[in-house]
This record gives sequence, C-alpha cells and structure tokens, in this order.
Amino acid sequence: MAPKASFAQYAARPQAGVSATVAELRSVSKSFGDVLAAQDLNLGIARGEFLSFLGPSGCGKTTALRMLAGFEAPSSGEVLIDGQVVNALEPFRRPVNMVFQSYALFPHLTVADNIGYGLRQRRPRLPRQEIAEKVGRALEIVRLSGFDRRRIWEMSGGQQQRVALARAIVNEPKLLLLDEPLAALDRKLRKEMQIELQDLQRQLGITFVLVTHDQEEALSLSDRICVMRAGRIVQVGSPQELYDHPNSRYVADFVGTSNFFEGRVDAVEGGRARLVTASGLTLAGRASAGLAAGTTGCLSIRPEQIRMTRAPEPESQAVTVHNRIFLGEHTEYLVRHETLGNINVLTPRQAEQADRGFETGETAHLAWSDAAALVLKND
Amino acid sequence: MTRQERNWLLVAPAGAWFLVMLVLPLSVVLVFSFGERGPAGGYVPAFTLEQYANLPARLTAFKNTLILAPLGTLAALLIAYPLAYQLAVRTDPKWKTILLVLVIVPFWTSILIRSYAWIFILGGRGLPALLEAIGIEGVRLIYTPLAVTIGIVYGYLPLMVFPIYVALDRLDKRLLEASSDLGARPFRTFLQVTLPLSIPGVATGCLLVFILLMGEFLIPALLGGGKVFFVGNALVDLFLQSRNWAFGSAVAFTLIVIMLVTVTIYMRLIARLRLGRDDAQIM
Amino acid sequence: MEDNGHISKRKFMEELRRYQKGSVTRRHFLGVTGLGTATAVLGAAVPGLRPRPAFAQDIGDRVVLATWPNYHDTANFDAFTDATGAFVQVNVFGSNEEMLAKLQAGGSGWDVFVPTNYTITTYVGEDLIEPLDVSKLPNYDPAAFDPRFADAGTVDGTLYAVPKNWGTTGFAVNTAHDGGTPLATWKDFFDRTKTDFSGRTMVHDYQLTTIGNALKYFGYSFNSVDPAELADAEKLLIEVKPHLFAISSDYQPAMRSGDAWLTMCWTGDGKQMNSDMPEIAYVLGREGGEIWSDYYAIPKGAPHREAAYALINHMLDPAVNAREVLAHGYPVADANTNALLPAEILNDPILYPAQELLDALEFGAAATLTDPNRAELLARFKSA
Repeated sequence: MAPKASFAQYAARPQAGVSATVAELRSVSKSFGDVLAAQDLNLGIARGEFLSFLGPSGCGKTTALRMLAGFEAPSSGEVLIDGQVVNALEPFRRPVNMVFQSYALFPHLTVADNIGYGLRQRRPRLPRQEIAEKVGRALEIVRLSGFDRRRIWEMSGGQQQRVALARAIVNEPKLLLLDEPLAALDRKLRKEMQIELQDLQRQLGITFVLVTHDQEEALSLSDRICVMRAGRIVQVGSPQELYDHPNSRYVADFVGTSNFFEGRVDAVEGGRARLVTASGLTLAGRASAGLAAGTTGCLSIRPEQIRMTRAPEPESQAVTVHNRIFLGEHTEYLVRHETLGNINVLTPRQAEQADRGFETGETAHLAWSDAAALVLKND
Repeated sequence: MTRQERNWLLVAPAGAWFLVMLVLPLSVVLVFSFGERGPAGGYVPAFTLEQYANLPARLTAFKNTLILAPLGTLAALLIAYPLAYQLAVRTDPKWKTILLVLVIVPFWTSILIRSYAWIFILGGRGLPALLEAIGIEGVRLIYTPLAVTIGIVYGYLPLMVFPIYVALDRLDKRLLEASSDLGARPFRTFLQVTLPLSIPGVATGCLLVFILLMGEFLIPALLGGGKVFFVGNALVDLFLQSRNWAFGSAVAFTLIVIMLVTVTIYMRLIARLRLGRDDAQIM
Repeated sequence: MEDNGHISKRKFMEELRRYQKGSVTRRHFLGVTGLGTATAVLGAAVPGLRPRPAFAQDIGDRVVLATWPNYHDTANFDAFTDATGAFVQVNVFGSNEEMLAKLQAGGSGWDVFVPTNYTITTYVGEDLIEPLDVSKLPNYDPAAFDPRFADAGTVDGTLYAVPKNWGTTGFAVNTAHDGGTPLATWKDFFDRTKTDFSGRTMVHDYQLTTIGNALKYFGYSFNSVDPAELADAEKLLIEVKPHLFAISSDYQPAMRSGDAWLTMCWTGDGKQMNSDMPEIAYVLGREGGEIWSDYYAIPKGAPHREAAYALINHMLDPAVNAREVLAHGYPVADANTNALLPAEILNDPILYPAQELLDALEFGAAATLTDPNRAELLARFKSA
C-alpha cells in the first residue's frame, strides 16, 4: 500500500485566497417517503483530494453523491460547494460532473460528440475550434486518440469507461463524482483502471469523490475514506487510520479482513483492555475509543498479525490446521480453535520457507502481540 | 429429415401466412385490374391496360390522399408526442397503467360509432352551440377539412401514442441526468437526448398511421360530408356503388404501389437520419 | 345459431327504432361505409329448442329474408312462425348493388329478397331470379294493385316479383329559413342553394338521385344517359358544390340539428322528420323526379322454396300488409290493404302525394343505375 498524503496535510497548506474545503455536507439528511436514506451527514471535502464513500448497497453513499451532483435535494441540512449553499441549485448549474455507474453515454452520438457534450452547453458558446481542441486533449488523456468518430456501441467496456471519464473531466469540474465507475469491469481491467484513475487525479488536480462497495478499491485509491452504514457516516479517515484504528467492529470488518473473538470486557485501563470469552479465555489488546468495562465486546486481530508456530509459546493458542491456500507471496490458513472457532492466518513466504509450512490436520500454535489486537465494543 | 427439410418446415407457417394473407389477395387484385367491367357490373376476364389508362379520372382522389396522409400523420404526431411524453416520463408509475388503458379504451368501440359521436359533437348543437353561448358565433365545424383532421387525429392517436410511449419509457433516465449533469437545461436535454432517442418510436408510429391513412375512407365520408374525396372513398364507390371491379382493382393496385414506394423512401430516410449524425448534431 | 353474423332480436329491434328515430337513413346504412351486410335474426325462438306442433303442411323450420332496415313489423313474422313453424331469419342490406353482388357471388342462402323495380331486369338477365308460381300465392290479387307499381315485376310476360311498398324521392326543406318564399321545383332547389340556402344544402351520395334530380333542373329525363344532357347536369353540380353543406345520404341528423336546411330526401325520411319537426316540409319537385317500388322475389336456388312462397303469401294478406304500413310508414299499391288503413294515412300528402305530382315522376331504369358514365360523373363531382 502506497503511503498517502493525509487530509491533515491538505488542511495545513491552504492556497492563498482559496478555501481548502471545496464542498461540504452540513447535518444533511435525506428521506424518500418513510425511508431514511441519509441521516445527519457531516463531511468536508478538501480541494484536490481523492475521497471515497465506502459501504454496502443501501448504506446511503450513492444518495450522498447524488446530493452533491444535484439530482436529489436534501430533506434537511445544507450542501455547500465553494462555500455556497447549493441545496436548490439544479444539476446543470453546478460546477460538478459525474461518471455514472453504467456510464450513461449517449448512444446516438459519437465518442467525440459525447465528450464535447458538456462544452457545447456552455453559454456564451465556446468556439468550435476550442471545443475540438479540448476534446482532443481529453481523448489523449484517456488514451483514446483516434477513436473520436467511433460509435459508443463499437467500444469495449473499458473504452466506454474512459469515454465517460473524458466526458466529465473535459469540463474541468470542481468536483468529479464517480458512482461505482469500475463495477462493470472484469478484475484485471479494474486493476488497470484503478491505476489510471489515480494517475489522472494527480495529473489534473481535480477533487475526486468516489462511491464504491469494494474496500480494496477504496483503500488503494483514496486519500480519505468515509465509511457509511445505514445512512450514517461511521468513520472518516485515511486508509491506514481506518485499517489500524477502526472505531467499530463494522469498520474493522469492512476495511480489510479480521478475526473477531466475542466476550465480556473485563477491564479497561491506560488504553488497554482485557476481554474474557464465554469459555473463560482471557485475551488482551488495545482499547478502542469509548470502550467501557462490563459491556460485551470483541477482540479483533488481523490475519497477518498472527504468528503460527509448531511449538507452544507463552499465551499461545493451540489450533488444528483445517485448510491451507497457497497464494504465492503468502499462505492463507484456516485453523480451528476449540472454543474461539475458525481463525484466518496469513503467513508470509519467508516464514513458510523456514518452517516448510503446516499440513492439514497438523496441530499449530497461534500467538500475537497485544499491541496488534484491538478490543472493540459491539455495534 | 435432413437439415434442409427441417429448415423448410420451420419457414412453412410464415410462408403459408404470407401466401394466403398477402400474395393471393394481391394477385387477385392485380389480375382483376387487367380485366373489364361486366354489363351489370363486376368483373369480366380480359387483358387490357384500359383501366390503368383511365387512372387520371381519379387524379384528384390520389392528390387529396397524398396531401391528407402526411398532414394527418403530422397532426397526430404533434398531439401524440406530448401525451406519450407525459405518460412515459412525467407520470407516477402507479398511474401509468390506468392512463394507458384509458388511451386504449376508445378502441373497444367501433370507429363508426365513435365517428358518429363526433358528428354530434361538431354538429350545430354541439361545440358551435357552446361557442355561441360564450359569444363566438358562426363557427362551422362539421363537414369541414378541420372536422376530418380532428376525426383522424382522434381515431389514430393510440396508434401514434403507443410506439412513442414505448420508446420514451425504454429511454434510460440516467441519460437525462447525464445531460443535466453536463450543463444542459431541460429543454436542451429534450432536444439533444430525448427527441433523437425517441425517433424509432416516432418513425414506427408515423408509419402505422400513414399507411392506414392512405386507405382511409370512413372518417372523410362521415366527418367530411363527402365533399372531400380520397382514394379510399373512390374505392368504396367503385366496388359498392358502380361495381366497376376492374377499374377499382387498378386504383387499388396503384395505391399499393404508391404506398410501397413512399414507405421505402421513408424507411431509407429514417435509417439515414439515425446513422448519419456523425457530423450533424440534431441541434 | 349457425350463422355467425346474427345479432339478437332485442338488439335488432333497438337498431330498428334507431332508424325510426332517424339517426341513420336507410340507404346510407353503412352502404357508404362498406359495412352494409349487417345480419339479424328475427323469430320467437331458436328452432329445435321449441316444441313443434303439427302443421297442416310442413315447409321446414326456417325461411331466410334479405331486406332493408326499418321495413317490417316483427309481429307479422312471429305470427308466421306460429302458423307454420318456420322462423324468419332476416338479413339487412344497405343498397341494391350489395344485394346484387351477394347473389352474383352465389351461395347467398336466401329464400326471399326485396329488390327495387329497376334491378329486376338485371336479375332476370343474370338468371338469378325464380319465376313465380301464382298458384302458390292465393293472397296475390293482381287486380287490386295499381299497375304502375306492379309492372316491373313482370319481365317478358313472366311474373318474377310481387309489389311490396313504394315511395318517392323529393326534397325536405326547413321552411323556417325560406324567407317566406316556398321552394317547389328542382330549379328552386339548385338556384336557392346558390343564394339563401348556401352552405345549408345536402345532396345524396348516390348517382341515381343526385344526377337524376340535376337533370330535372333542365327538364331532362331523370334517367338520361345522353352525354350532352349529362354534361349540363355535371356543370350544374360542380357549380353548386361550393354551396353544399355535405354530399351524404345520411341527412336526418344535420336537418334535425339545424345545420342543414335543405336536402334531397326519400318518402320515409321526409315523413319521419315532418312528424317530429313540422317546419320541415317534404316537397316533390314539380318537374318530376324519382318514384320507386320494392318487390318480393325468390332467388334461383332458394334452399326453402316452399317456405318462401308461404312467407310472401303471408305478407300479401291485406291485414298483415296493413300492419306493415302502420309500422314503417311506406305506402302500398294494394287497394285491399288501403281499404284497411286509417284515413289520416291515406290522406297524408307525404305518403300519398297529389296525382299530378306523381304523374311527373319516373321510375329509375336499370340502365341508369349501371351506367358507367353516370358513375364517373359522380366521382368527378365528389372529387371536384
């Protein structure tokens, strides 16, 4: 994972005369009939950052995006773009462009006419020449030069994706909104496009707001991720912050994978906590914010933080190897603990070589440092 | 059974339909058109081009039809499009079905009965009486070209509404959002996205209405007071009144040929319009 | 019921009343629309479901009649069925041309039909009509019939048809709009159309009467096929056309609503409109015009020939015929029937016009109806 500039860095260096915040949601709620799609959203979007809304379908992330685009008006609260409240501003008046999930390219227009569509709506009219130049440059940026006369249906999925991108960026929007833009692509193409998106964002300096349900995509692309659940924002932070310091089991589960052991929180002291499982096992880890003794909670430990040895170590847990998947760099084990149940373990290749690996049915011992484990309250 | 035999068997029903419903009747019309009228009317076998030589006697009817059919189609289109648009784009889905059924309901009654209803609506005791009550006097509606146009638009409206409705209903609404997102005001979105993408529905509706209008006789006869004479009326007179089947067949066959030619040209134009937009924007 | 064109008796009666109310005229009845072959069933019950008493003579269970709308009293058919066991199936037609077409096509299945005078020679020429055996028609009393309305039934000395009803073709005028100057002639009809009745006049969508009455304007024969005379008539019609309200045989609605003030008109329609709106007068043009007579006849190959004779004989019974007249309002030529009719009908000037007016009228001729030049003239007039 490439190190990312954090939000704090942007906030620290505001450009002269330009606010660091390009858009903002202030206590925004949206209901459709009886359904509350978004509740009390508060979020600032920094100029030039790559922000992702992450969550499962129906969590409200698309609603948030559509309120930024202007397709939905908030039921309460305020949406601001460049410091202006834009609640009632129609989409065609907003300096914002969107890349739609299914691209929504105009089937009756050529590639070039699709890309030039936004420029042709400008009043006063832009000179023909200027439109052609801008479209040509946009085609170059998305590496589709020479495709300008093509019809949309003659283009592959990945090419259509790039046309959709070009159609949006050619307008140089203040915010580029991307609604699951890669969901329709196959895995390999998706990887490629992720890199292209990232390059594009750096090259253009446009603020990108991405909506995705794919945590990997969010982690690899974003400066900041806004995790949503049931219409609410759960946690906002850089990918690393979310990975290392999830504020809830939900985030720990959604961002990366983790093992969870349930129990009663026995003691919380000095940023550390102790958890007792139903079978009486005592486990220790860092205490997450707001954790209180006497409540039920769980201990979260990432698979790669677990060491697996043949000989027992102090406070190690004996398990039986149930399944082994060779992944090249890593080997993934599914092991079974008598009371903790199934546990995922990820061991690097190096350790494998030293140990020659574990066979199915073999007994192994698991150990992790308390600092790597996190005790979370139950959601 | 060989593959070839199977293929023949598969096209047989369509082929039979084509033969019985299209080729046979057309052949009868064609053969009759080279015949002669019997002394008491009807058809006497012969081979003569006399009937075709006599076609100029119905020139006015052909002229009237070739003016009425496109104009009636256009009038129906101008009324049907906003209606179809309202139904497909603006109407709450739960009302759509009910409103669509309301569009079809008139079809459950014979066009004859419905045209008679218009005779009374447009007659002196109908709309003109209402207009007189609010001070507009001397309006004559029944048995005018306007009455025929009203009747045609009324009668053919559903045929025009449905294909356009389907085209607009299938239109991906995200395209409209995309257009708006790219800065187009609603009217420009309509001109640049909605309208061009509904062209297939418009084309189908116009074709249906145009073809039927070419043979129309009932509405001009009932609402036009017989003063405006179309090929359809000429045919009714030739077959049912003067019983000149040979001449009637020649007129009918000529109408079919004109129709085929016009429809072919029309289809070509539509195909070109849909494919040839590389350079020319609709705006 | 085996014929799928049937409508129920009740429905048929409703239709009949509609004609009587005058919303649709007889000849217009969809003849112009091509939907003319409406068929109907009259009869008290479906044969076979009804117990059949023994009859003096078994003539079969049905008889098929091809006739015009609004032209019978159904009670007379019921009485026939009660007396003979044969029910009367009625097919209704819009024009003589259609009737001829159906018979020419063959397999009509009719037993009795009702041709108009000028078509009978055509039927004889085409060998479509059966000579009548008078011995099977004891109610037919040739002496009682005015020969003027009976002659057309005999062709070359053979009796093919017996008279049913007769009538005239004149014009109906709304006298509220004649400015105190009544119209009396076809000259008035066309001249006034160009002046104070402009935009208010209707002529038939029927060459026989429209051309025939235009010919009368010049004093020519109603039946003329002379090219020079037809050219005069054509000139007149085309001159008048811009002043016409409509060319339609369906003139009652427009006359009743006040849209039209003057129209060519058949006896029955004239009587119906005059009864409801006394200001609408029925006028026979003094120059002449058309008189017509309908007949009963049996087509060649009638499937129920005995029943056909029985039905015609039944309808010729003066008591039955008188009930017919009371129901449909068309005059008969039979003195025996007239003897049973009330005075107000016999003295009605619309049904029984003055003799000198009748004398000027002409029967339509077969050649007039089938003349191709007259058909073309009407087409030119309509498309002008």
